[in-house]
Amino acid sequence: MTTYDVIVVGGGPGGYVAAIRAAKEGKKTALVEADFLGGTCLNRGCIPSKTLLKHAEIIEQIEKAQNWGIETSSLEFDLEKMLARKDNVIQTLRGGIKGLLQAGKIDIYEGFGKVIPGKHVIVDEKTELTGEKIIVATGSRPAVPPISGLDKVAYHTTDKIFDIDHIPESLVIVGGGVIGVEFANIFSSLRTNVTIIELGERVIPTEDEAASKALLKSLKQKGVNVLLKHQVKAVHEGENTKEVHVTDKNGKEVVVKAEDLLIAVGRTPNTDAVAELNLAMNGRFIQVNEYLETSETGIFAVGDVIGNLQLAHVASSEGLTAVANLETPTVKMNYAVMPRCIYTTPQIASVGMTETELKEKGISYRVHTFNFGGNGMALATGETDGFSKVLLDEKYGEILGVVMVGAHVTEMISQSSAFMYLEGTVDELANMVQPHPSLSEALMESANALIGKGIHTV
Amino acid sequence: MAEKVVMPKLGATMEEGTIDSWLVDVGEEIEEGDPIVEIQTDKITMEVEAEADGVLLKKLYEAGDTIPVQQVIAYIGEAGENVDDLVDDASSVDKTEAVTPDAKVDTPAEVTATGAGDSDTTEIRRTPIARRLAAENNIDLREITGSGPLGRIQKVDVENAIAQNKQKITPLAKKMAVDQQVDTTSITGSGAYGKIVKDDIIAANRPKEVAAADERVAFKGIRKVIADRISDSYYSAPHVTLHSEIDMTECVKLRKQLLPIIEEAEGVRVSYNEIIVKATAFSLRQNPNINISLENEKEIVYHSDIHIGFAVAVPDGLVVPVLRNVDQKGLGILTKEAKTIAKKARDGMLTPDEMQGSTFTISNLGMFAVDGFTPIINQPNAAILGVGRIQEKPVIINGQVEARSMMTLSLSFDHRIIDGAPAAQFLTDLKNVLEQPYKLMV
Repeated sequence: MTTYDVIVVGGGPGGYVAAIRAAKEGKKTALVEADFLGGTCLNRGCIPSKTLLKHAEIIEQIEKAQNWGIETSSLEFDLEKMLARKDNVIQTLRGGIKGLLQAGKIDIYEGFGKVIPGKHVIVDEKTELTGEKIIVATGSRPAVPPISGLDKVAYHTTDKIFDIDHIPESLVIVGGGVIGVEFANIFSSLRTNVTIIELGERVIPTEDEAASKALLKSLKQKGVNVLLKHQVKAVHEGENTKEVHVTDKNGKEVVVKAEDLLIAVGRTPNTDAVAELNLAMNGRFIQVNEYLETSETGIFAVGDVIGNLQLAHVASSEGLTAVANLETPTVKMNYAVMPRCIYTTPQIASVGMTETELKEKGISYRVHTFNFGGNGMALATGETDGFSKVLLDEKYGEILGVVMVGAHVTEMISQSSAFMYLEGTVDELANMVQPHPSLSEALMESANALIGKGIHTV
Repeated sequence: MAEKVVMPKLGATMEEGTIDSWLVDVGEEIEEGDPIVEIQTDKITMEVEAEADGVLLKKLYEAGDTIPVQQVIAYIGEAGENVDDLVDDASSVDKTEAVTPDAKVDTPAEVTATGAGDSDTTEIRRTPIARRLAAENNIDLREITGSGPLGRIQKVDVENAIAQNKQKITPLAKKMAVDQQVDTTSITGSGAYGKIVKDDIIAANRPKEVAAADERVAFKGIRKVIADRISDSYYSAPHVTLHSEIDMTECVKLRKQLLPIIEEAEGVRVSYNEIIVKATAFSLRQNPNINISLENEKEIVYHSDIHIGFAVAVPDGLVVPVLRNVDQKGLGILTKEAKTIAKKARDGMLTPDEMQGSTFTISNLGMFAVDGFTPIINQPNAAILGVGRIQEKPVIINGQVEARSMMTLSLSFDHRIIDGAPAAQFLTDLKNVLEQPYKLMV
């Protein structure tokens, strides 16, 4: 039996980052991964979807350029090559992670790691390891809702759809959250007839309302059929089609037919690995304290398995925090400045609190929205869709939240994150010089407008 | 040739001075007129200025040293000049040195800045070095509070301001600190390399917010009157309190039977309170040595009448209306009078007469979850009876456990004029009459 200072169970963005940091701090570290290094993010999530979304963006750019005097004949798509590029990207990154783990002298165990009492980890029922501390980073898997007939129908989840063998003529996506809208974007650009079925009143319901509206508009422009406030009642296998029975808010039934079906209604935490530990739970998720320690001393949990924001960078941040707390709990996990990004065209990015959240908490705030239609760079690049919205604390001008819709905003949001993290206020944001022309000027304009000094705002 | 710097004589009575702080380090270049050392007498702190250009060659004393006037404390000369020979001489006071200290010492309180640009700060009391240090470090003297005499800004104040300016603090935290008047010099930042962040300011300011929540009410009016009377009684009359547990089972029965009768006769519902008042009057008649008062610490008055006061809670205080000649009244009349006067008390309609003349007082807390207490005598009475709640309890009667309605009475008495035994006798008699209430008929 091999003994380690730390055993990390799960090699996704929470686990592998924690393992490397622990090793750098001189801990004898093991990492147990049941599937591929990089977890959902690298293999079935962030990275493959961004690879395919880049294809969608280029297709849309080419279409847009037809009106700019750059004419092409009709586009032809080779899905096999597209997916090969995606696989190539994944393999490069997987190799990178493996290299980093090896350089850190971290022992990698390939197999399903089960944590049993006494801080032992059994890998594939064979190898037994003992850890002074354990970090559980087992992640999550796509949730499958209890829809009548679903068990008799071939359907996709995000686990499988990246290896689809041909471009479907039509696709029904159940769920209008982040994953659903990104896939709608990918497939609509490949000329698939896409229908999104969303139970809520709007797509991406947790994000800013105006952002949600802008996204809905862009989806409709791409020809995506969006059924809001619709509930899926049953699915049937038809002749070469899937039949999805949905009811609207008045109970009226509609049947949506499509070649393929994608279920994208959220994710379920993977808790099998700790089933024998009797840990305190927070609903379906493992309960942790603010130092990310579970109800069992010395066992920490990070990432999707503890809920909160199920985002790769949140998991990584949690992983690092857990490592900092291994010996003595000193660093509290801080979720205040966590950027949230959706990589559709236009993109949506936000950080801090939304207006809805501020209202719920009774925090008085000031807001300014700058539309990219009035920005030089946006006009020059033909990317005028979208806006930038800054939310301020009334008293000190603290930046409480920023939401952006538009091109490149998933990169630009980090400027706002930095301001918030370093506690810059509206005055610094207003005075800092932005390059011209750039979309980032919108932030400067909003900040100046909020202190009554706007130049390009009325 | 090196110039001497001596401890100046600032007044006719000054014998010695203490070096407060050196303003210049050895080897530093100085110009005539630059302050070089701060000295302190028992009256004032002042700066000694250089009388020549040059370099500070040697300090003969450290801050905190006390030196006789006219003694050399330092040398100024050219860089590299050796003054070791001179140092030996310095230990003997050089009386021949024709120093006129009053003229040489800058009087900081009268300093006025030159230069038009400084017009805003000319009124600020500060030492010359403080001014120079502030100018060099871009510190606005108006933002500094001086710690010297009459609020004069001294070098140390400017140094603190510089340190504060150099303190790492986020823009947001700084705004909050200014707004909430938080002194950031005493805060250890929790950010990277000790940078002060928003949470540090919130944490530093927390206790203040708690203190602000107290409500303050003036101590006056009825509260003051009650307070005076309570402490007069408590501190003048030595209190002793006796407790006795009473079996009220018979009283409970009696009340049940009397309820419809009195209600029909007088239109009011008799309560235990009236039964206890009546029984107390009965027992007082049996024990006249309890129904007494001490008047002006000269005479003990044995009252012929039995007037019983009973405490009634009113908003913000309590009043004690008086039932008169209780021993002569039937329970029906007594109940009606008690209800009427209690209502007047709660409505604030009592006349002064209705609150005067009691010879004994009852305080009943039986409506609360109170079993017994030590009531404070309502002067000039000599005793007060505290009444607790009636509660069913297991009691052993003839070897059998029975559920009985039990109540505790607490009798506080003024031990100056009532001895322990008579008080105990009274309480025993009262217990007996309450446990066998038919005695009231006799």
